[in-house]
Amino acid sequence: MNLPKLTGWLLALPGLIFVTLCLVLPLARTLREGGVTLDVWRDPYFQGRLAWTLTQAAVTAGVAALIGVPLSFLLSRFEVRGKALFLRLLLLPFVTPTLVAVLGLSALLGPQGWVTRLTGVDLSDTPALLVLGNLFFNVPVLVRLSYAGFARVPGNVVGAARSLGAPWWRAALGVALPLALPGVLAGVVLVFLYSALSFGLPLALGGERFATLEVEIYTLTALQLRLSEASALIVGQLGFTLLATWAYVALSRGGVGVPSGGLPRARGGARAALLGLGGVVALVCFAPLVAVALRGVLGTSGFTLGYWQGVLADPDTPLLLWNTVRFGLMALAGATLLGGLYALGAWRAGSRALDLVSLLPLMVSPVSLAVGYLLAYPVLAATLPMLIAAYTLLAWPLVVRSLLPALRAIPPRLFEAARSLGASRSAAFRSVTVPLAFPALRGGGALALATVLGEFGATLVLTRPEWATLSTGLYERLGRPGERNLGEACALATALLVLATLAFTLLDGGEGEVT
Amino acid sequence: MRGTLTVLAALAVASAASAQTTLTVITHDSFDVDKKLLTAFETQNRAKVRFIKGGDAGELLNRLILTRRAPIADVVYGLDNSLLPRARQAGILQPYKSPLLSRVPAAYRLGDDGLLNTVDYGFVALNYDRAWFEKNGVALPKSLDDLKSPAYAKLTVVQSPATSSPGLAFLLATVNHYGEAGAWQWWRAARQGGMKVTRGWSDAYYKDFTRNGGKYPIVLSYASSPAAEVFYADGFNPAKLPAQPPTANLFLPGSTYTQLEGVGILKGTKQAALARKFVDFMLSAPVQTDIPTRMWIYPAVKGTPMNPVFTFAQEPQASSVKADIAANPQRLVDAWVTQVLRAR
Repeated sequence: MNLPKLTGWLLALPGLIFVTLCLVLPLARTLREGGVTLDVWRDPYFQGRLAWTLTQAAVTAGVAALIGVPLSFLLSRFEVRGKALFLRLLLLPFVTPTLVAVLGLSALLGPQGWVTRLTGVDLSDTPALLVLGNLFFNVPVLVRLSYAGFARVPGNVVGAARSLGAPWWRAALGVALPLALPGVLAGVVLVFLYSALSFGLPLALGGERFATLEVEIYTLTALQLRLSEASALIVGQLGFTLLATWAYVALSRGGVGVPSGGLPRARGGARAALLGLGGVVALVCFAPLVAVALRGVLGTSGFTLGYWQGVLADPDTPLLLWNTVRFGLMALAGATLLGGLYALGAWRAGSRALDLVSLLPLMVSPVSLAVGYLLAYPVLAATLPMLIAAYTLLAWPLVVRSLLPALRAIPPRLFEAARSLGASRSAAFRSVTVPLAFPALRGGGALALATVLGEFGATLVLTRPEWATLSTGLYERLGRPGERNLGEACALATALLVLATLAFTLLDGGEGEVT
Repeated sequence: MRGTLTVLAALAVASAASAQTTLTVITHDSFDVDKKLLTAFETQNRAKVRFIKGGDAGELLNRLILTRRAPIADVVYGLDNSLLPRARQAGILQPYKSPLLSRVPAAYRLGDDGLLNTVDYGFVALNYDRAWFEKNGVALPKSLDDLKSPAYAKLTVVQSPATSSPGLAFLLATVNHYGEAGAWQWWRAARQGGMKVTRGWSDAYYKDFTRNGGKYPIVLSYASSPAAEVFYADGFNPAKLPAQPPTANLFLPGSTYTQLEGVGILKGTKQAALARKFVDFMLSAPVQTDIPTRMWIYPAVKGTPMNPVFTFAQEPQASSVKADIAANPQRLVDAWVTQVLRAR
């Protein structure tokens, strides 16, 4: 093994240890406790669940690609006012707790929803609502990913096609798309993975009819304690997610180049397409959030600030805010440190295995991990280090996935040029590598923070009342009947979104990519 | 990484060092008690009480069973009569009968072995949206048989017995009412008739119930929910209660279930004396008075004063579920899953 490779592995070592302790060991412990017997897979019921899981994920990935790919191409080629803000706001669905997304969707598309009443089309109790929910969470992923892919296609290549007389869409399909295809496909695979493994959404929106495998694993593990059946499902699920992830890692290695500056303004057909597609994405991703914010200020007799007053008057609210910020920052620090080192390591080692490992936390069912934590670390079960470790585990891959492609996209010649001009290794690293990779680190950090703010790692760890966050606070309210509870939950959700927007503004320039 | 590890180690040591005088109480997620009462208990006993939220009551029990060799708490609150048989079988509890149990009516005590001391009770029951039934001029159903007919099944949303504790309670009530074979027939007919089965209470109540934007005016909830609806209504004024709650109970014969929640001591505790004191604390008058409007349940100790808002909640005339049905709920859930859920 040559020196850069060895240094790479050494840099990745802390991350590897972390994944071993927080993921591999607990998961192995769960599987051992269950004792894997694959009989369950003979049951047509579970075969059906598998088929449905794959179908809804494929449909989501397909629709997301249809909307997201052309939009991100256009965004990457034209100067659009408010582009950075739009890309930044696209992170908001990441922060949105599942039940809030569900409330927003049903305020719009439920049987008495605003859209339903306008159009007369009732989507409730159909799988359409689940797919829409999936799109809400995943179109942003795809847009940001393929935007990054297209942005790396050198502008003069597309420009040459255009000056030879090709309309923008011909240039897009014939020139840009083939070049950006690996990145775009990687995005599609990631959306597929996210949708196949999402848990909260099918749990709340799918009812009993549209339960996915992940939901079945949850039921068998947490509620019925039938660990051997659950283990069989976990292993089966790991099988197909590994396949998908392998494809993803292979695809996402392509795409080298530096983003070009100085973009033209969109005109004519391109402008119309931008507005149309942007509108659709905004509708899918922001309308449910607006609906929730509205529900936080609409009482039974019209506009009211009562729910907000209730939230502000609650003596627990400062604690919720403080915990949300505190845990967010702690996990962000952990994820940035571990993820930053790991990405550097994986880049220098150039190892596909290291690449794959960083995706593990996205592939493993959190519920089965939770059981593993209890079995492997009972003493740490309800301790703060465990909680922060769980948050970090969820946030870590996003930093790695964001940083890696940026590091790979840095032309090696730049570094060599700095060296030949007399810069030392570390000086060249500081003045070339760091500035070029820094935006990606910021973007990854924003995404990592978003994960923590929204989806509480509490699913992995036993929580304590004094650890209540904005999201647990709103879940608690949604556990009791009464319109004030619903209203205050929506107000808390709005507060969470505002907080997240602030954090993203500080962290993310909007150009951060995640692959 | 080294920094992180040092911090982790320091935190672990710190939590271990303070553990000597700490009583760890694991509860379900809905647990809530006035902090002032708790502080008084801590001062009185020169101890710290640490609460752990262990999920839904069913999840809580499973977590305790999984960790029974290295118990993660000293006391558990929130296991109920439908979970007690499994807790007993798993041998996770050690007996203690609080002297205060004498003030709990015999009918509400959880067995003679003292594994769980009843703290409170509640009723899982169907609720309906008053406004919907008035506006649509539909008569209320009178029996569970009515409810399975498409006319009413399409109006009803309940939770799955496999994933939700009210769902399980409702399953036990129907099995008690119809017998097993009859219950499966009822469930299958009701599902074919259009009854919706959701995974959990929140999505049934806040997504599918007509009152919150759904299309089902009958929802499986608790008998105290109408009172909570009044308490948490916009502009609630304790001095000027409304004439009627917006929702009401639908006590169809055989549809209600009495839930008895208890507190018990976990086997392997090193704080047995303190744990016993905590059990007594949960049954003490101040805590009993505090419970109803925090968790929307009835205090177990007889004669505890109640918030006036509870006039909007009724206690059903429920015959309790037969002992053999409550003895092995898991078997019934498994049967429900194969006989009803997966039957096509």
